[in-house]
Amino acid sequence: MLDRLKRPSSYLPILSLILVLGGWEIVGRSINPLLFAPPSAVVGMFGELMATGELQAAATITMQALFLGYALAVIVGIPFGILMGAVPRFGDILQPYLYAIFSTPRVVVVPLIIVWFGIGFGARLFLVFFWSAIAISVNTAQGVRHARPDLVEVARSFQASRVQLARHVLIPGATPFVVAGLRIGAERAIVGVIIGEMFLQIVGLGGIITTGSSELIPAKMLCAVMVIAVLGTIIVTALDLVEKRLQSWRGEAA
Amino acid sequence: MKTRTKRDIRRDQLVGVAIFLGVWEVSAQLFDKPLLLPPVSAILAALWDLLISGELLTALGESILLLIVGLFVATVIGFVFGTLIARSKTAYWMLNPYFSALFVTPTIALVPLVLVWFGFGFTGRVLVVVLAAVVPILFSVASGLRDAPGDLIDVARSFGVKGEIPLLFTVRLRAALPVLMAGLRLAAGRAVVGMAVAETYLRLGGIGGLIKSYGAVFQTDYVFAAILPLSLLGITLVTIIARIERRLHWA
Repeated sequence: MLDRLKRPSSYLPILSLILVLGGWEIVGRSINPLLFAPPSAVVGMFGELMATGELQAAATITMQALFLGYALAVIVGIPFGILMGAVPRFGDILQPYLYAIFSTPRVVVVPLIIVWFGIGFGARLFLVFFWSAIAISVNTAQGVRHARPDLVEVARSFQASRVQLARHVLIPGATPFVVAGLRIGAERAIVGVIIGEMFLQIVGLGGIITTGSSELIPAKMLCAVMVIAVLGTIIVTALDLVEKRLQSWRGEAA
Repeated sequence: MKTRTKRDIRRDQLVGVAIFLGVWEVSAQLFDKPLLLPPVSAILAALWDLLISGELLTALGESILLLIVGLFVATVIGFVFGTLIARSKTAYWMLNPYFSALFVTPTIALVPLVLVWFGFGFTGRVLVVVLAAVVPILFSVASGLRDAPGDLIDVARSFGVKGEIPLLFTVRLRAALPVLMAGLRLAAGRAVVGMAVAETYLRLGGIGGLIKSYGAVFQTDYVFAAILPLSLLGITLVTIIARIERRLHWA
């Protein structure tokens, strides 16, 4: 977002970082350490958690559920979306349910997930998988259905075979939608994995936040929050870049 | 492939819902494990019970109040910082990275911190909603204001609108209105999530608290009955904003 401003000067973000960290350090030192921690304490905690290996272990657990769930969502979501787009009646009938499930905040579904899947790895995987699969399939279906009728017409009048039609018209037309779905799905997956770790099984990075809060160690909570924020930024930015590149391919056509 | 009219789609969807509810009811009765899959009739009975006892309305009232206050505060903050970011490169480079980071951080991860700092009262919960909703508003204000049409501003200037502040309110904000509504729509969806997160964490009243309480005692029919109005609330809110948005695009 807002990328039209090209970097006028690189010192501003650094200056702002220094101001924010400095202000945070001063405020953090003056507040009860049970409630808040200055950046120095967070960095210290980061080192400590790294040294004991707790942070790496937690990040591994989080990543396992995240990547496996997301991979499943991609594998299931894309074909399902193609089916929904190719058979409009099927897609139309299903759409309201998917929309309703997608609009329901996941934290309130947690009680249902507990009775259905328990609180183990499977339950966490479901939280990652299901919502991100919905995002991917709904967007894919949209892409399949929004093939430009004029291009389809042209291809047909040149007697393109079904394979050729798919290869040259349908797939390129649908790709930007699919990638948008992949990005939204990834955002959902990240939130899903954290919800699972805070509400179902207290493990992983989300688990560090929960234990930090119950042990009243704010540095630990802040440390995990920042690791999550950095991971989220990396994943979302990477998919954003892919999406932008594909959109420039699409050019004015869409 | 013949084109499907809106009426065809509506009809298919209604038939689909009828079959879906029928299959659910019958299979739930046959399966007979109300803990895992309560029949539709039991969920409706639970919904009726929640309505009659007034529990649902009280909870909904609390939640809606939280949503409105949170969205209002988020809009105010979003406007102030969005305007700053749009009008000043310095502000953009100093503030934007933090808001971007806030945008991708799951709100749920911030809840324990916010509740420790601001308490488990209304303030803490409002802040969670604000954190969830503020960034889309802020980004839409910033990009809407930046794209303000130069010709409109020239016309306004020649008609005697002087100064940045009057220009902001007479031209820029109005020209940006469709973008702002898109941001608000995104924010509303996230605000509902923030509200649910704040209320569910530690069972803090409202509709989220209601769901969590019934979940804790494994009354699945009541859980379903309480989730339903929450989903409806979110969908209604987003639909209303989308309607207004579409109208603005035509204007």
